[in-house]
Amino acid sequence: MNRAIEIHGLGWRAGRSFALKNVELSVPMGSIYGFLGPNGSGKTTTIRLFMGMMKPDHGHIRVLGMDVPRDMARILARVGYVPERPHVYPALTVAEQMRYHASFFRNWDEGWAREMMDRLELDPDRKISRMSKGETGKLLMLLALSQRPDMLVLDEPTDGLDPVVRRDVLTALLDYVGETGATVFISSHLVHELERICDWVGVLDRGEIVAELPMNQFKNGIKRIKVAGAPMIPVDPPFTILSRQTANGNGTETWVVRGWQDPMRQYFDGVGMNLRDIVDLDLEEGFVELLRSSRPHTSHRS
Amino acid sequence: MYQPMLYLHWKQIKLVLIPFVIGSFGLPLLTIQGLGTNGGTTVVEPMTALLSAQSWLTMYPLLAAAVGITLALSAWNWDHQLDHVYSLSLPISRRQYAMMKMGAGAALALLPVAALWMGSLVAASVVTLPAGLHAYPNQLALRFLLGVMISYATAFAFAAGTIRTTVIVLSAVLLYFLGGAAAQSYLAVFIPFFQHHDLVGNTFNVLLTTGPFAVFTGSWVLIDV
Repeated sequence: MNRAIEIHGLGWRAGRSFALKNVELSVPMGSIYGFLGPNGSGKTTTIRLFMGMMKPDHGHIRVLGMDVPRDMARILARVGYVPERPHVYPALTVAEQMRYHASFFRNWDEGWAREMMDRLELDPDRKISRMSKGETGKLLMLLALSQRPDMLVLDEPTDGLDPVVRRDVLTALLDYVGETGATVFISSHLVHELERICDWVGVLDRGEIVAELPMNQFKNGIKRIKVAGAPMIPVDPPFTILSRQTANGNGTETWVVRGWQDPMRQYFDGVGMNLRDIVDLDLEEGFVELLRSSRPHTSHRS
Repeated sequence: MYQPMLYLHWKQIKLVLIPFVIGSFGLPLLTIQGLGTNGGTTVVEPMTALLSAQSWLTMYPLLAAAVGITLALSAWNWDHQLDHVYSLSLPISRRQYAMMKMGAGAALALLPVAALWMGSLVAASVVTLPAGLHAYPNQLALRFLLGVMISYATAFAFAAGTIRTTVIVLSAVLLYFLGGAAAQSYLAVFIPFFQHHDLVGNTFNVLLTTGPFAVFTGSWVLIDV
């Protein structure tokens, strides 16, 4: 499968407090890849590294089949980027910023940009410094999409936006992707938002990738199950146990498991346990359990 | 790419640059105040005229340095504020971006230079000089251009780096001159070589008399013999 982003053994350290540790990422071409992680987990740093804005300590990065940083200018010509914080020049008007941005991108589609400006209700003569956070968010998305990129890299693009603006921005994004088949790499800690639009998900916690898999596997494979007669150490379970909680006195335990498939019910009969209940977890619950299980101080048996 | 960048820089600097342009035009006219005009009858003594003109001389290099430094600092100001994220997401190399930015500032620097040249030409055409004195508007404008460009290029190089880099470089320069002077005095007591060779002083002299910065210490005369 062609990969839009391939990262191997990526490492970067900022003093003693934070480090990315051997990050491995593989983003399929044409996918909408959700990059999940709590605040401070290293999402923005990872993005800035593969966008060539920072130099890694070690590791190898390829974007759209080209090497970072060697082919950076060619890569950036094909990538639309919306950073975590607004980065456009505050003294310019919307139209001036669009003209400035357009001058750097050969594929800039002026007609489409004008149409988007009307659709997103942006005033071309409005100064950026006087725009609300929502309006700035719309402008950033407009700039990124009007480049007609092969890939969009969106770093918390809807963080802090009200629901109406968020919907407008995501609709514009999905329309573009539907029309062009572009790859989208979108980082967020808003799990529900990614659940609706992504088909792949990668989870980063404390500078380490803790999961990378198709969204349907992630959503369907994480369950909360109730079992009775569980031994201290279960024998070769066919799924991953993310957490275990003992119920008060009645001999049952609640497990959160990953990689669940229905035929695995038979496992419990084979090892003398009794499966009482299976509950689907939504992405947010699954995400939280995954993070809990990946952190060394959290006991699997609580 | 260059034209929008030029516009961006202009938009950022225009409120500061316009007073510089007016000042550059007006300074030569101030220099000839009291020397008499073509329509008038008063013609002052040559020495009086020279002294009057020379009283303004220090203003020219100061103005050139101020124009260059202001343009250079403003060139990077917005990028620094935005942590360079936007500029680094543009599909051009860092070198190309810096060169375009430098070119935009250099082009804008021509506005005060042109204003000073025009002001000098106007001043030279209206003043009545005593016999033996001449006006040198073109030479003054050329020196002003060099002064602006040298101060701009130097400040641009500093401003392009991070605050940390700038502090390190400036500290190294200060350490060389201040620490070097102290070390020189101390070593001269024990080592005869340092009694005869003033390394720090020589460096300073080279920079200000034969190096690029010599343009600031040379003769900034609109009126001379």
